[in-house]
Amino acid sequence: MMKTVLINGSPKKRLSVSSYLLGIVGLLVKGEVVKEQVRNSGDYERILNSLVDADNVVFGVPLYVDGVPSHMLAFMKEMEKFCVEKKIRLRLYVVSNGGFIEGSQNKALMQIYENFCKHCDFEWHGGVGIGGGVMLNVMRIMFFAYAGLFVLNTITAGLTAALPIFAEQLFVILFFSCAAILYCLRMGFAVNKGAGYGVKFTRILLPSFLFILAADIFFVIISIFQGGIFRGWLKRK
Amino acid sequence: MGDIMKTIIHDLDESYDLLFKKKYENVIFANGKYAPCQGCFGCWTKHPAQCYLKDALQTVCRQIGKAEELIIITENCYGAYSPAVKNVLDRSIGVSTPFSTYRGKQMHHTLRYGRKEKLTIYTYGHITKEEEKTFRYMLERNAINYGFREFEFHYLENLKQLEEME
Repeated sequence: MMKTVLINGSPKKRLSVSSYLLGIVGLLVKGEVVKEQVRNSGDYERILNSLVDADNVVFGVPLYVDGVPSHMLAFMKEMEKFCVEKKIRLRLYVVSNGGFIEGSQNKALMQIYENFCKHCDFEWHGGVGIGGGVMLNVMRIMFFAYAGLFVLNTITAGLTAALPIFAEQLFVILFFSCAAILYCLRMGFAVNKGAGYGVKFTRILLPSFLFILAADIFFVIISIFQGGIFRGWLKRK
Repeated sequence: MGDIMKTIIHDLDESYDLLFKKKYENVIFANGKYAPCQGCFGCWTKHPAQCYLKDALQTVCRQIGKAEELIIITENCYGAYSPAVKNVLDRSIGVSTPFSTYRGKQMHHTLRYGRKEKLTIYTYGHITKEEEKTFRYMLERNAINYGFREFEFHYLENLKQLEEME
């Protein structure tokens, strides 16, 4: 049976965009699917051992300063040593997400993984770089909020009143997120076939000037709640 | 506090650290012992230009942001910075603000400390042609993100070359 290890490279314990995207990739992957997360060196041994009999690895990583987060790079160096020594050959896929709206800002990260594959003698099967990661996450959280409201609405006002509202909300979320979701699902198909996926870039389907406006409003709201806006928000320190 | 001329980030050893500290006022030794960025955005939204992790990198973005010139000495790692150096960079996103704008026709954050002169990379260790291409491309991207007007890439055949560095 085919074994695929999904390795989440987000440092966040819960609700990371990377885990969300890996979850979508994993939806249609056949065979054994193992979900792992690299947060510190204590995770290495467990994850490396799960690679021994694996066929595919899918990395889900956030874009940090145009590249791979440092704790993930440290893990990759260990993974290279381990896999070269044990002669483990894998097919590697990557799904990355950055905060900026342009998916193509993940290009350097993709090249880093391609170089990594050459070191490990893995088959580089490509990846998808997604722009607007934070918004994708906000959409996912909104989905659960809307679903909760839908249940409440159904109980109090009845299904016929609640359903159109929920359907409209669902449509908006799906509209903005659909490219990212479809690209992740397609990666799942490529994994099943053991086929190359190529390097692709996609994004939240919002024009960049609107996305920038939304991101600025988002950070103003968060910074009011967390207080940063009153502590020299944009000032030199 | 006045602005800094040069800030150096390196992942070499204690002896190089001492050598650099004799020459430059601002040397950051990426020794690989610091906690990685947790992605919380607190350095933007809670306590601007300060990390919630209380170690030597807590206000490293200020040291980087105030420098006219940033010099990074790093081992090559798949055409990118070593994990130790990347750790310092990941912890320094407070150099920018949470506000976004267009720069070079793409979305980037506005700069807390404004535009800077130059970003120079010295990399060492084994490097392939593809990795050098990746590194140069990433450097170009980093220069836009950090707001450097110029950038330079150097490969060090021999670490002894560093002793003559200006």
